[in-house]
Amino acid sequence: MTMKEYAKTGEFNLADLLCCAASREVQDNEVVFAGTGLPMVAIMLAQKTHAPNLKLIFEAGTLDGRPAELPTSVGDPRCEMGASRSSGLYDAFAIAQRGYVDLGFLGGAEVDQYGNVNTTVIGDYLNPELRLTGSGGNPDINSFAQRTVFIMVHEKRRFVENVSYITSPGWRVKKWPEGSWVPRQALYGAAYRGGPSAVISTAGVFRFDDETGVIYLDTCHPGQTPEGIAELCQFDLDLSRVSGETPKPTYEELHLIHEVLDPEQIFIPKTVKG
Amino acid sequence: MMSKKNKRISLPEAAALIGDGSTLTFSGFTIWRRPMALVFELIRQKRRDLHLIEVNGGPQTEFLVGAGCVAVWESCWVGHELYGKYGANVSRKVGTGELLVEDYSHAEMTFRMAAAAAGMPFSVSQSSLGTDLHNPAYDMLGAAGKRDGRDGRIACHKYQFMDDPFYGGGQYVLAPAPKIDVAVLSVQQVGEEGTVRVAGQYYTDPEVARAAKITIVIAEEIVPEEYLRRNSDANTIPSLEVDYIVECPWNAHPTGMFGRYDVDGDFLRDFYQRTRTQEGFDAWAQEWVFGQNHLSYLEKLGWPRTLGLKANSAVNYSTSVKRGV
Repeated sequence: MTMKEYAKTGEFNLADLLCCAASREVQDNEVVFAGTGLPMVAIMLAQKTHAPNLKLIFEAGTLDGRPAELPTSVGDPRCEMGASRSSGLYDAFAIAQRGYVDLGFLGGAEVDQYGNVNTTVIGDYLNPELRLTGSGGNPDINSFAQRTVFIMVHEKRRFVENVSYITSPGWRVKKWPEGSWVPRQALYGAAYRGGPSAVISTAGVFRFDDETGVIYLDTCHPGQTPEGIAELCQFDLDLSRVSGETPKPTYEELHLIHEVLDPEQIFIPKTVKG
Repeated sequence: MMSKKNKRISLPEAAALIGDGSTLTFSGFTIWRRPMALVFELIRQKRRDLHLIEVNGGPQTEFLVGAGCVAVWESCWVGHELYGKYGANVSRKVGTGELLVEDYSHAEMTFRMAAAAAGMPFSVSQSSLGTDLHNPAYDMLGAAGKRDGRDGRIACHKYQFMDDPFYGGGQYVLAPAPKIDVAVLSVQQVGEEGTVRVAGQYYTDPEVARAAKITIVIAEEIVPEEYLRRNSDANTIPSLEVDYIVECPWNAHPTGMFGRYDVDGDFLRDFYQRTRTQEGFDAWAQEWVFGQNHLSYLEKLGWPRTLGLKANSAVNYSTSVKRGV
């Protein structure tokens, strides 16, 4: 066994798999905007493996961070040790709007086939079943970064035809004040830089067609089938481009996640449940 | 503003400066450096109809909303980060119609506050184009008839849209600069004349301090002004923007403060779990807020708990606090 070998089923858990899949979306030398939670572990994992020169920006104001200990939130003092500069939100968002950010990691409660994401409300906005956290920086990072990757729990109620509220813009969005549907590129004009490039769910990894902006299945997580995943979507999922199975974590990655990055199990549990 | 006057006041005096119906904002970010001791005092004084305008929300929002102090919450996010998925009190009171929520995005709130701090009428950005944030049907202050000009603090539109008139750069979104009556900051150090030195990320503190009509600074310690002026390049907020100062150690607990103490995750988790219902909130407030003052609150927390949160002065966070499972 070498550290670069892939672990076998039963030697890792779903959070490990998601973390490694997210880490592999990062390329070296990129400027990456970090959110709180599993993506923070994923980015630091990339920093310690294939992307040692990535530049990490925390929304609360830490620029080019190299934390020694895992922060629990982007406001955490742990973000700041080793950083190039600690400042505030104006700097973080101005840098993003200026166009420095290559990649952002985001979450969502609902996603539709065009990559529109809802983190604001379940049900009708004016008469909500459940009010959630709200947008936070989700739409901002999604507007400004060249690529965004969403990490989501996969349930049929979350993969919907149309999200009940567009918190964060996908590939087909609404032009206000009239509310007509338009392609993202048309609305953003000269400010267009990109948009959602992947959704990593607890079932598989999804990407978007360059032309139509429609989601398709790329890889299935171990134990999942394309047909089974299609059953978990309320829209007709494009299965024509499935490239195989989501790569498993390597022993090196598992070691880094559990012994180096998150030994306290703040975001990634150590238990293995299939 | 008053540079000669002695700016020192007490915590109850600071809370009394914030009248019913005030537009109010705070320092900090989510669960970090929030003026919680002042928030508890506002709840004790039974403040009502506050209009919170926050770059982002957090436990301070949840405490005030649960206690019925807030009529309007204008912001982008509320929760307890790792220690509570969403703002259960905001969520409940939106459902019952007791709370009006006006949503903007995080960058929009930041740029709006920066516009207010620069004395400009609105912010300009291309953030969040194409989202329901910009849906005119979701202008909640407008739908409530509050954009009729009678309250000069409320803008007559939530958003306006315009094409870039200079470079043909596409559609832009204009959002009104907020009119802030009072900003309350929680910081590590303030000088006797009001100079503030924030350690660590300063979030949007410089913007909120400059935007507000009245700025109150609650500090872990009041230090000699001359000490801060020896290295003025390290200071964050100039004295002339600060109207009142309060000395109050551990004032941000249960939120955390760079270099001083970590977030009290157990406290926030307990609050989140117990305050899903109004009865739960009321029982929690009876235990932790009413009949207490800041010292009795600290006494109730006790030495073992506070010492466990205390930051290590070399790394600026606690090296002994238990964070994971």
